[in-house]
Amino acid sequence: MKFKLTILVTLIALTFSFGQDNNAFKSGEKLVFSASYNMSGILTDIAEVKMEANEMKTSASTLLHLKCTATTYSNFDSFFKIRDLYESYVSPRTVTPYLYNREINEGGYYKYVKYKYNHKANLVESLIRKKSKNFASGFWDRNEKVKINNGTRDIVATIYKIRTLDIKKAPIGASDTFTVLFDNKLTKFSFKLLAKETINTALGKKECYKLAIGAAGTNVLKGNNSNILWLTADENKIPVYAKFKVAVGSGELKIKSATGLKN
Amino acid sequence: MRKTSIILGLIFAVLAVVLAVLPLYKLAFIPAVLAFIFGIIAFLKSKKEAKPTHVIQVIFLLTIISLGLATYKTIFTVSEVGDTKDLQQTEDKLNEEAKEELDDLIIID
Repeated sequence: MKFKLTILVTLIALTFSFGQDNNAFKSGEKLVFSASYNMSGILTDIAEVKMEANEMKTSASTLLHLKCTATTYSNFDSFFKIRDLYESYVSPRTVTPYLYNREINEGGYYKYVKYKYNHKANLVESLIRKKSKNFASGFWDRNEKVKINNGTRDIVATIYKIRTLDIKKAPIGASDTFTVLFDNKLTKFSFKLLAKETINTALGKKECYKLAIGAAGTNVLKGNNSNILWLTADENKIPVYAKFKVAVGSGELKIKSATGLKN
Repeated sequence: MRKTSIILGLIFAVLAVVLAVLPLYKLAFIPAVLAFIFGIIAFLKSKKEAKPTHVIQVIFLLTIISLGLATYKTIFTVSEVGDTKDLQQTEDKLNEEAKEELDDLIIID
């Protein structure tokens, strides 16, 4: 009996680990994108988006530091300067987040958000900091404890988690849902595999998975199937192209370079 | 018809010049083309009615300036990231804080 139980536990543990392993990215990966905004059908390059993955060693473990930054090009800086930073410290194998930082500077608007995850208690200690003249420090802090579900991630960890999924086994039309913690709210994002397409990118002609992104119960993303992400149909699953439609308009994200790839 | 064309042409021509100067210079092509079309209409009407074409010449001049500037900028402007020193400092600071906070963390999965 004991032997059978051991085998069973080992098998479960094995399937679990095989299903969740990250084979898409590693420390040292750097992806650079160019974001353009669509105005009356004319695309204007406005910002550079970088996605980096680096290793971070603490005294007890090794974490992966996933960092996304958005910076407007210099000719836009005097009009609307954006310096955004989104980062997440995750487990290298399962992309489970442990700490999330978001600092945005958008045309004078400042906001800082920090989430510290407690996966045992399914809780997130959240700190939201905004600029305020009513306080001597110049900042207004709000500390909160947010209840999360199993598998809840922040936006950065979710983007990277999608890359670790075994999309090649999924049939066209398959969809998956992720719970994302954003602004202290749990939002369900769904991803639907629309088709397999070959598109031209800065990295060459690539066969890609075309995924439609939808958000339930929020109006962040507009339109039906107007938010589309193209991931290369190889082991790396690099996000090479994205089309988005938000409240302030529509635009696209195109890859410029990809270095330090895992495969 | 002639007057309307001149007024619209002038408005679009000025708009095109303004947009061509701003970072949104690519948008200048739309009013520039419209200004050009209205300019031609006004020019043909003026010729038919044997009326002066001074203002129409201004429309064409402004259109040419805006088109030239927008085309020049489209070809020669390189998209470069501006000053990111502050962002770099924030990154370093947050990284230090994260190291302290996560120091005793043991990954359970």
